Amino acid sequence: MDRKYYDEMYDAQGKCRPHYLEFARWLAAIPPEQLAQRRREADLLFHRAGITFTLYGDEQGTERLIPFDTIPRSIPASEWRMVERGCIQRVQALNMFLADLYHEQRIIKAGIIPAEQVLANEGYQIAMQGLNLHRDLYAHIAGVDLVRDGDGSYYVLEDNLRTPSGVSYMLEDRKMMMRLFPELFAAQRIAPINHYPNLLLETLKTSSPLDNPNVVVLTPGRFNSAYFEHAFLSREMGVELVEGADLFVRDDKVYMRTTAGAKQVDVIYRRLDDDFLDPLAFNPDSMLGVPGLLSAYRSGHVVLANAIGTGVADDKSTYPYVTEMIRFYLDEEPILKNVPTWQCSKPADLSHVLANLGELVVKETQGSGGYGMLVGPAASKAEIEDFRARLIAKPEAYIAQPTLCLSTCPTFVETGIAPRHIDLRPFVLSGREVRLVPGGLTRVALREGSLVVNSSQGGGTKDTWVVEDLKNAE
Amino acid sequence: MLSRTASDLYWMSRYLERAENLARMLDVSYSLSLMPQDGRGDGLEELAMPLLITGTLEEYMARHGQLHGERMLYFFALDAENPASIYSCLGAARSNAHGVRGRITADMWENINATWLEIRGIAEQGLGRYGISRFCEWVKERSHLFHGATSGTIMRGDPYRFIRLGTFIERADNTLRLLDARYEMLGEDIDEVDGRPARSYYQWSALLRALSSFEAFAEIYRGSPGTRKVSELLLLRPDIPRSLRACVDELHLMLASLPGDNGRPAQRLAAELEARLRYTSIDEVLDEGLHAWLTDLILLVRDLGHAIHSSYLEVV
Amino acid sequence: MRLSISHDTTYRYDSQVRTSIQYLRLTPHDSERQRVLNWQLKLPRPVRAQLDPYGNILHVLTMDEPHESILIGASGQVEIDVLCESEHESQSALPFLRFTHLTEADPALREFAQLHCKKRRDRSALIDLMHGLHGHISYLTGSTAVETSAAEAFAGQQGVCQDHAHAFLACARSLGIPARYASGYLYTDSDDHLASHAWAEAWLEGAWYSFDVTNCLTKPERHLKLAIGRDYLDACPVRGMRRGGGTEQMHAHVEVEVAPMLQVQQQ
Repeated sequence: MDRKYYDEMYDAQGKCRPHYLEFARWLAAIPPEQLAQRRREADLLFHRAGITFTLYGDEQGTERLIPFDTIPRSIPASEWRMVERGCIQRVQALNMFLADLYHEQRIIKAGIIPAEQVLANEGYQIAMQGLNLHRDLYAHIAGVDLVRDGDGSYYVLEDNLRTPSGVSYMLEDRKMMMRLFPELFAAQRIAPINHYPNLLLETLKTSSPLDNPNVVVLTPGRFNSAYFEHAFLSREMGVELVEGADLFVRDDKVYMRTTAGAKQVDVIYRRLDDDFLDPLAFNPDSMLGVPGLLSAYRSGHVVLANAIGTGVADDKSTYPYVTEMIRFYLDEEPILKNVPTWQCSKPADLSHVLANLGELVVKETQGSGGYGMLVGPAASKAEIEDFRARLIAKPEAYIAQPTLCLSTCPTFVETGIAPRHIDLRPFVLSGREVRLVPGGLTRVALREGSLVVNSSQGGGTKDTWVVEDLKNAE
Repeated sequence: MLSRTASDLYWMSRYLERAENLARMLDVSYSLSLMPQDGRGDGLEELAMPLLITGTLEEYMARHGQLHGERMLYFFALDAENPASIYSCLGAARSNAHGVRGRITADMWENINATWLEIRGIAEQGLGRYGISRFCEWVKERSHLFHGATSGTIMRGDPYRFIRLGTFIERADNTLRLLDARYEMLGEDIDEVDGRPARSYYQWSALLRALSSFEAFAEIYRGSPGTRKVSELLLLRPDIPRSLRACVDELHLMLASLPGDNGRPAQRLAAELEARLRYTSIDEVLDEGLHAWLTDLILLVRDLGHAIHSSYLEVV
Repeated sequence: MRLSISHDTTYRYDSQVRTSIQYLRLTPHDSERQRVLNWQLKLPRPVRAQLDPYGNILHVLTMDEPHESILIGASGQVEIDVLCESEHESQSALPFLRFTHLTEADPALREFAQLHCKKRRDRSALIDLMHGLHGHISYLTGSTAVETSAAEAFAGQQGVCQDHAHAFLACARSLGIPARYASGYLYTDSDDHLASHAWAEAWLEGAWYSFDVTNCLTKPERHLKLAIGRDYLDACPVRGMRRGGGTEQMHAHVEVEVAPMLQVQQQ
């Protein structure tokens, strides 16, 4: 199939886009052996620092390095401002949706979203019904996954409102680029991002009504795939990194066990799924959570960030309604587009999907990390038939979307430099106000033609630049 | 500090110290096993000593059925199935360090991580090819590097204190056990046999070397080593880094400087132990009987370890 | 009917428990069908009551002093309106459509539900289903454990009231009917069944109706309700965790009787 991709660096005529000119000049001037040497240095530094992730399903719990590509993804500042406004608008609407859903349910009464769609959803938590949260905030930290289609326009692929990860790679990638190629940062104005941990800490502190709350990061432990990130963020924020066993509940308050006795905890930045938080309220087999945490939470003595029950809003079957949410709650037109989505729970949509499996991307509504996904154009006949059977067996568990022509960015590959598909995940922080650091995490599918950028599926990362527009470059 | 963090730091350094002590033990036994055995067998008894001291001889026999030089060495040094092997100790230290990667300096982490990666390499090529003495030297060297990195890079805060506690609890226990085992094996002192220095001379010398105290002994006592002098040196002298007294002094100091009230049981035990050693003479120890005294002290050090645990590492 | 309840539970441990925490749902609340006349909870230490996610009265008992036993006593009197067959509620019943691990409907349960209900989705259909399950899963004390799922009990054809309720919930939900688990006490003349009991409720025409598979009862006149939830784990009277203690021995003594001083209500 002949597809037209939008390339981030070069336009259709092969001419370098203005915001990449400075980089292109530098790339042309640097001797190849020097570049290769610095790239090796980057690998070594990442290894030494242990910036790794653990693969699920890998019995050995082997730690792998996420490939880092030294060609940055660059976004002109004017374009970024649009993306930023779009992300803020979206996350605001999603938080308002969650507050509404767990209280008055106006959006259901208005007939915009069917009651069964959300109330019988896996992500809907009865425990949140009628519970009042400080500032009405549910998703304090959100990751919005964006891709660009053939014409360069941005689409939201999915919202991540539970425990979005990857921000440590965003920060480490920048540190690495500044260390290896300081001259690039001297030559042009690239918006800084390293204040993210500060913003995050501020966001977490303002999630509590207390003046100076005791904040901790709750990790599932050192065998979790994102443990590096949990340790990284707690270190950067200067707060404790705790595991479930470090915390306990006494009389509806949460304490951590310290060498100087019990110390009360006020805000928990939890990197643990809802189901594992409290073995007395959710999954009884969870060894990772804190018995009694839900009762303490519902008594208002501790803040969880993100709140319990945000999964109903980032579920892929809720996704199609987000544009309507923006109109309903904010009375605004969505700035960022949604990808057209077929909900396989609807018979008409299902038959369309089944008839066009070879063209579509099919995803599990509850899936993440690029698992449980079919990319039609890249799939074998057997894979397509396998998915057909799964769809027919459990249609409500799937949605389908057209295969987007993800934009490409020049990337170092074995044979030199070649275009590879990328996406973008900006991290949106909601506290007293809604804020982002410029850019986000750019993930790149290193296999030629692949559209799956997840690190667990062979994806890499790039530093993401927001650069001042060059007015007179043409 | 989180109790779990303190626990990881404490056990990280305990396991490293244990690995070093095991290497010292192995070194001594291996070199003695190469000596003429005065008709006492083929040196296998000597090679079995480290297993006996660490209480793993039974497990070894259950697995291998008979004393066998190479198998014992492998079991003690590199066997991943033996949780008390040097290999397993270094793995456990690395795993504890991994859990507190954010609380130790990059230099410390890289040292521990590199040690772990290297011993895996050594295990692959086998102890025979690597050389036993060389291996023991390597373990000691890695431990020295860790102590150097620790003392040179980490802030003198609570994490540092728990690292030191782990090191010195383990070291105190080890010194007591090594001395006890050698004494049990030797019995009464005999200085010379037919004009040759007796076997005991080599045994005591080997012990002093194992505890890096041979030079100090020579400088202080200027004579051949015997029960009384060696015991005094290794138990009561504050200026010998691996002596019981030096270890207890350090434990007392570290515990006294930890904040909070919940550590009082451990602090009191350490203070009592410190006072006891300060005001005990070697004559009193020998009057009581060295073995009985050592047994008593091994229990007291164990109690102190328990008190550190319940006071700091698993606070309710 | 006025029921008088006395329920004592004792937990004893082999060795000292360092800390423990229990979620207790041992206090009934007023509803259309039941009126709590008086109720006392005797606990080792004072605990503030709260409402859990399902509106049940919850006490969270945390003990952080070492202990070797825990005594929990609940007692009181409750007036049951024997004529009231269903209860209304303002909260949406839709969340009770979702399966849980314990109430997952496997193909066998789905087929069983279809077989008994066909196209019908009314009370009589569920009554048929109730009788069907009663016949399929015979009551046998000790035949299953608390973690036994509906599908496992159904396949094994043996179970206790908890399994009966779970199997019913799985079937009803597979038919698209919201259904929930109820735990409480049952007044019974015989000694066959424990006085602590569990049954199911289904959402039909805007109200919750009871289905007691174990006793084939659809009128809950002998049932005193303590708590509801999506399954046993949400609604069970006691759910706890502890550090230390070795093995646990639990001894429960429940007495449910018709209150002696029967008064004819003036009305």
